[in-house]
Amino acid sequence: MLRHYWFCIILLCCSNSTTAATADYLQDLVKQSGVMELAQRPEWRALLHYKDNLLFPGFTSEVDGAGFFNAPDGKTNPQAELAATLAAFFNPPIAETDEVQHPQCMFVARYYWLKQELNFDPRRLPEQPCPRFSQWMTTLNPGGVTLIFPAAFLNNPASMFGHTLLRIDARDQDEKTRLLAYTVSYAAATTEKNGLAFAIKGIFGGYRGYFSILPYYIKVNQYSDLESRDIWEYQLNLNEHEIDQLLRHVWELRLTYFDYFFFDENCAYHLLSLLEVARPEIKLTENFRFWAIPSETVRYVTENSGMLKNVVYRPALSTRLMDRLQKMDPQYYDLALDFVDGNLQPTDEAFLRLPENDRANLLEFSSEYIEYRQAVDKRTLNGYGDRAFELLQARSQMSADAAPDIIKVPDIRPDTGHKSGRASLGVGYQEDAFAEFAWRPAYHDLLDPAGGYVPGSQIKFFSVRARDYDDQRDLRLEELMFLDIESLSPRDKFFKPHSWKVKAGVVRKNLPHEHSLLAGLVNAGTGLDYRLDEKNSVYTFLEASLEYTGEYQKNYALGLGPTFGLLSHIKPDWDAHLYTTMQRYGLGEQRTDYNLVLEQRYSLDDNDALRLSIARSREFTVYRTETMLSWQRYF
Amino acid sequence: MKKMIIAGLIALSPGVVMAANIGNCGWGAKVFDGQSGVAPQVFAATTNGTSGNQTFGISSGTSGCTQDGTVTSTWKTAMFIDGNKKQLARDMSQGQGETLDALASLIGIDQAQKSKFFHLTQEKFTSIFYSEDASAADISNALKTVMSSDSELAVYAANI
Repeated sequence: MLRHYWFCIILLCCSNSTTAATADYLQDLVKQSGVMELAQRPEWRALLHYKDNLLFPGFTSEVDGAGFFNAPDGKTNPQAELAATLAAFFNPPIAETDEVQHPQCMFVARYYWLKQELNFDPRRLPEQPCPRFSQWMTTLNPGGVTLIFPAAFLNNPASMFGHTLLRIDARDQDEKTRLLAYTVSYAAATTEKNGLAFAIKGIFGGYRGYFSILPYYIKVNQYSDLESRDIWEYQLNLNEHEIDQLLRHVWELRLTYFDYFFFDENCAYHLLSLLEVARPEIKLTENFRFWAIPSETVRYVTENSGMLKNVVYRPALSTRLMDRLQKMDPQYYDLALDFVDGNLQPTDEAFLRLPENDRANLLEFSSEYIEYRQAVDKRTLNGYGDRAFELLQARSQMSADAAPDIIKVPDIRPDTGHKSGRASLGVGYQEDAFAEFAWRPAYHDLLDPAGGYVPGSQIKFFSVRARDYDDQRDLRLEELMFLDIESLSPRDKFFKPHSWKVKAGVVRKNLPHEHSLLAGLVNAGTGLDYRLDEKNSVYTFLEASLEYTGEYQKNYALGLGPTFGLLSHIKPDWDAHLYTTMQRYGLGEQRTDYNLVLEQRYSLDDNDALRLSIARSREFTVYRTETMLSWQRYF
Repeated sequence: MKKMIIAGLIALSPGVVMAANIGNCGWGAKVFDGQSGVAPQVFAATTNGTSGNQTFGISSGTSGCTQDGTVTSTWKTAMFIDGNKKQLARDMSQGQGETLDALASLIGIDQAQKSKFFHLTQEKFTSIFYSEDASAADISNALKTVMSSDSELAVYAANI
């Protein structure tokens, strides 16, 4: 509405007041911009978000809000948009209000760039004051830009897919007061609570994406305290001019929108487009037009853009708590839990007997742990707040220094872990020799090198395996998994997550008499995981499977059964996974299947690994043994 | 026009309006209210979604306590306290911490006097946070009182 309103004003103003002299100067500028081919320049393309059309020649802007363009065909015609933008700059002065701005202010980044390129003569094209924009820049006081990447949630591998945002670091802040900075992020506008509907609409561009500005402390609360996600801060080496132009462009984008697509035109993609405005000679978005995984865009920025200055790690509340537990004398664990449960008061003799530093530490840990529990488990809220408050009060009466919160920065960051795409080539034997080809565009499985990823997590998108047996001519599909998520989260006295798994896809089922078929499969389970020591953990799941194929009795099979597994990080480059599964299919196509599998991965270098798997299985009463050695490359 | 009148009122009497206004423009209401259960989390997170905690787009002009998306200076401290109650309670009880540091610099406390400020908030913790559910307005008024009665830090009390 508003946009249309001011657009009309421009048109009115233009027609009324354009004198002959300004018309001449406008014509000059348009001509000059044509000679200089400004509309084809990377700066203009970045500012208007023009991308080459995929099939036909020409350009289309990714911006979908109409008010963003000055020319009626501005979305597809860079030249016309440039001419119309210049014309709008000649509009007579207006009093700026909350609703109305002069085009020079509305499109302040375009104005700035064109003014620079075309050397605007201020007598013939008077520069308009932009009080709101100036005030906004004064408030932001930009001195630096940092790319922010919140790592995965604990126990939610799906969030590895992640999110990125930009932080505008003010000149009068330092590393201790960064909470006061503002962030710029891009997200789909929706209040949809149904996750599935959200996903489907999002994949097909059903939402509008907007840029928004929020203080960094809001984001830190959200990621660090409520969602248990470590935050990685990548400070970029943009200079003053680049930062200013980036923010001018954010100002231009405030009121417009893009159709939001989860897989390509998502938050990470659009943040790259902002960085392109800052430094147009660097091509960032073109590498991610079809598939922008936030962590991969971070990797691209840190490895290829030459923009990285420094990296800061901000551990989540849960990470800090686990670190404190490791440093705490285990004999205090029960006391901490007694505080949490209200069985111990800070005034009790048993507590007051302890050395002062230990008491301070216990009070700090217990109150923060209560905070954590409140964040993750809303059902146990009763009385927690009061108890945490009592502990804080007691702590404030002690003069002991706070326990140092020094947490080792992980050696491998999300952007330096293995790449998320993976292709494999294997040879194996199962009654006959075979070759196997596998491809997985994203992201990580339990046996991939864990550095930079959440340990015990797995998420695979569209992973596919096909085999070529010696005695057959054709390559045969073995498995196509649309989604395969597994989360192993260790339990202890303080953290009691449930591990879980879910996958859906198509798998090959081997029937007796060398017959096989493809069946649709949905499988899900819930379970428990325990750490035995630094290197080994054991887990168990109860899982259910539903298979569907026209060749089954009643077309389906529904099974239920346990899984037991052992994961072992033998050495940094060598992991092993031993597991056994039983599924009793009691409904539909009835049978009981078992398998026992030992898989090992040995890393050759950052991008290559060998895998050896040995499996013994029973499927439809037929026993088989299979061995396979494969070479895997991450890309 | 109406907006301007309201904005004017706020500017004239921040102390009075704050308690009421913080409810409308405080962050508390906007912060992620946590979707429970595995499935919604999976989909929301897989699809790098927003889970409804975002302000959609950057509001134009003056709206609540923001001006074109940034917090107006009158509300900066109140909003910060509102968005960081738990963190401030933690830091003040220990007499140190990042959130407390940020608050000190928001109030404009000199680097040299920061540790004095940290110490004072720890010492007077019970006066500043007198109950578990103290509102941001309560906390900031109490902090103001505590600072006013400190010879060295009284000069900063007006900045809250």
